[in-house]
Amino acid sequence: MSETWPYYVIGIVGLTATVFATRSSFFMLPAKYSLPPWLESLMRFAPACALVAVIAPGILVPGGHVDVGWGNHQLLAAVASAGVFLRWRNMLATITVGLLVFTALRLWA
Amino acid sequence: MPHAATTGLFPPMDRGMFRDGVRVMAPMGLPVAVWGLVTGAVMVNAGLSVPIALLMSVMVYAGSAQLATLPLLVAGAPLPVVWATSLVVNLRFVIFAAASRRAFVHLPWQQRLIAGYLNGDLGFALFSQKFGDADEHGNPAQWGYFFGMNTFNWLAWQVSSIAGILLGNVVPEEWGLGLASYLALLAVLIPMVRGMPALAGTVVAAVVSVAAHDFPVRSGLLVAVAAGVSVAMATEKWRHRVQAVAA
Repeated sequence: MSETWPYYVIGIVGLTATVFATRSSFFMLPAKYSLPPWLESLMRFAPACALVAVIAPGILVPGGHVDVGWGNHQLLAAVASAGVFLRWRNMLATITVGLLVFTALRLWA
Repeated sequence: MPHAATTGLFPPMDRGMFRDGVRVMAPMGLPVAVWGLVTGAVMVNAGLSVPIALLMSVMVYAGSAQLATLPLLVAGAPLPVVWATSLVVNLRFVIFAAASRRAFVHLPWQQRLIAGYLNGDLGFALFSQKFGDADEHGNPAQWGYFFGMNTFNWLAWQVSSIAGILLGNVVPEEWGLGLASYLALLAVLIPMVRGMPALAGTVVAAVVSVAAHDFPVRSGLLVAVAAGVSVAMATEKWRHRVQAVAA
């Protein structure tokens, strides 16, 4: 840890800068600037694509190998979780059900 | 603007409206706390030291960007890749800023900077709901409501994150905390996927991200985003054309 702390600290400062750059962006610009429609489309779609690009490999590539079969407990848990969220829109239930399914499969499947 | 004070970190606020803001955000306290607890615990579980995790939570204040960049940081990915990933996840906030700027645009710069920093997903949605169609934009009532909501949200997030960071090492790895972070992100992702273009884009981004999972310097994510956004925008364009022909 002692050798890598500058990496983390500089990394965190940069991450903070990305938050200010986006959240405060149009609060700081003069009123004459606005978002062109094509840029708004890009900004609307990019975060969803980025999140799915974090989630999909995290769930489907456990231990470095692609696994989309019934043996992938994370995948089954995520499907159950997504179902719960679509039905009830409840963050606590979504995470709890996913972890319970995962744990049940780990212990008994 | 008659109301704007030129000094201080916060604009003048109506106290009653500040309380209303807290009250409207309060029911969100539990989901926010769950999300913060998971984020805090996952950071430490993934290998960040407690001081680094605390620094990240207090400064970055963006759960989805923190969880999205965590695997990159732990793997020691080049920082420009880490920052680019965070920037992409945060791009939605540019739209929020553009949509809610009318209430803040006449304030002094330091107040705008802080207001923007606090303008997250929940606060933005609730503020637009309440004042999107208001006759006047930017008064102490609106600022009070805004900071009431977002101060509550900030506190709920920080307290639960810090609790998560302190508990992170106690939770055994077999419980699947890593999985919990993906499930939390899933709950952020699903409401974003509305309409055919967004659906097409996310499916493509998912497939590409899995295919590109071992790209050098963890660049697979950015490649997947480029592919997904291109497909989403092309789909949107194609739909406009079909609608134009039909009309």
